[in-house]
Amino acid sequence: MNPIRDAWQSIFRRDPLSTDKGKSELVFLNVWLHIHPAKVKKENLKVKHTFYLGFITFYLFLILVTTGVALMFYYRPHPPQAYQDMKDLEYVVYLGTFLRNMHRWAAHGMVICVFLHMCRVFYTGSYKRPRQFNWVIGVFLFLLTLGLSFTGYLLPWDQLAFWAITVGTNIGSYAPLVGGRIRELLLGGHSVGESALLRFYVLHVAVLPSVMILLTMVHFWRVRKDGGLSRPVWKLKAESAAKVVTIGAPAEPAFRVVPASKDKTYGLMEVVTGKPIFETVSAEEEEDTVFSYPYAFFREAIALVATVISVMAVSLFWNAPLEEMANPVKTPNPAKAPWYFLGLQELVSHSALLGGVVVPALAVLALVAIPYLDPNPSRRPADRKWAIRAFAAFAIVNVVLIIIGTLFRGPGWALVPPWVHISGAE
Amino acid sequence: MNRRTFLNWGTAGIAALCAGVAVSLAAVVRFLTPSVFYEPPQMFKIGNAADFSFGPPTFLAEEKIFVFRDREKGFAIASAVCTHLGCTVGYFQTDGRFHCPCHGSVFGADGKVEHGPAPRPLEWFEVTLARDGQLSVDKDRVVPAAYRLMV
Repeated sequence: MNPIRDAWQSIFRRDPLSTDKGKSELVFLNVWLHIHPAKVKKENLKVKHTFYLGFITFYLFLILVTTGVALMFYYRPHPPQAYQDMKDLEYVVYLGTFLRNMHRWAAHGMVICVFLHMCRVFYTGSYKRPRQFNWVIGVFLFLLTLGLSFTGYLLPWDQLAFWAITVGTNIGSYAPLVGGRIRELLLGGHSVGESALLRFYVLHVAVLPSVMILLTMVHFWRVRKDGGLSRPVWKLKAESAAKVVTIGAPAEPAFRVVPASKDKTYGLMEVVTGKPIFETVSAEEEEDTVFSYPYAFFREAIALVATVISVMAVSLFWNAPLEEMANPVKTPNPAKAPWYFLGLQELVSHSALLGGVVVPALAVLALVAIPYLDPNPSRRPADRKWAIRAFAAFAIVNVVLIIIGTLFRGPGWALVPPWVHISGAE
Repeated sequence: MNRRTFLNWGTAGIAALCAGVAVSLAAVVRFLTPSVFYEPPQMFKIGNAADFSFGPPTFLAEEKIFVFRDREKGFAIASAVCTHLGCTVGYFQTDGRFHCPCHGSVFGADGKVEHGPAPRPLEWFEVTLARDGQLSVDKDRVVPAAYRLMV
């Protein structure tokens, strides 16, 4: 009897990793890893298929949770202490500046990566049957990311935060009928003040992260249940419409026999009727798979390390901005919303109702409805020229508006190129 | 239990459930609506009439209002909050207009929108004479731009 070995074996029950059975058991006997399949298609590990953007987004979220909890130990959500705590983080707290930088830059990175991930999923047509609903969840995760970013933006309680949220929440109040009411509920008052800070804090550290975690779990679960990652577009054959083949089911015209591999053990679980909802793996495709351990895990670990190191590196060299304390009396000129809302603010500067409510509402509705409105079953880029052009136009308009709002708008929201310096501005 | 009883009870049960959810949602919204606002009062005194000069308006930063005093017409109070997105407008003596720093809205001396995205004119608030002789402003009472208080 060896208590150490006994304890070890009570925790890790798998066979040695040198065996195929051990490699499989590592995945499906482990609560954290079993979201993976035991084996993955080689083609799905290719960087050029996904750029690992979903993973990077998730890793950034993990960084945000970790650094966010750390920052909470030194933060009181009440003016003026909130701002004083920012100063403490900057000058007094050990690693305070670094942690705040990481939190800030990871947040910006997450907004960017979610958007890029959405672009990737669109361009590979991966929102199509059977993955429509996961696209919808993804859109909500995108909105949640913006919500988390927006609520976090107020917490430093500096001029930047105060006026960005003043402008941002006023945009929302243009929504017909409910707009003013929503703003009042969100702020807990008529203007951005102490109750607004507390509410944004609670939303930022408790409500929105919880919803985010729940939806993320559903999102990952659906990736598996919808048949894993979509096939890379370069693997799609011109005949289109991947044929659904059920292993063991009578295929037309004759019964199709799938040869059993000698290396595997097969078990019949249950016989049910009905069509499978996802593409199944055919016998020849089975040969193109590798064990998740170590191939997928290794790549995911590389992505994780790369993400963490990138955020750390950026945080070493660039500090998160902190202006003077929030002053409701003094509007900075120009007053700008957070950068990812500057496209919206640019639209709002032309028409508040149309640009601030109608266009963004329609854009979100269109995003949600894309998988159900796109009648084209093919995922091949050659078959979806117009879809790709339309989405490219959407993405470019977004980026251009944000760039104009960020770099080309000066005092009084006048069009000023970034290379022109206006003396006495601010 | 027969079919009719089952359906009756079932319908009643679902209706009760829906009502319960609706009431709960209303309660949540009500809970989130503050019963007390710890904010500066909407009605406040700004001092004696003699404190204000004739000519260009006096800007009261905390209250976000402009106090106009005219020799013939008397007092008027303009809101300094832009009707577009809530930034604080500035009064430019050079052209006698209000300019918003955020999105370039320009309001005329009477508060009317002359340029930019602002959807409504600046608000004018009621100003009255309190018992102690001070001027009292009530931001909850919006008055026409022509409203004046002679002191």
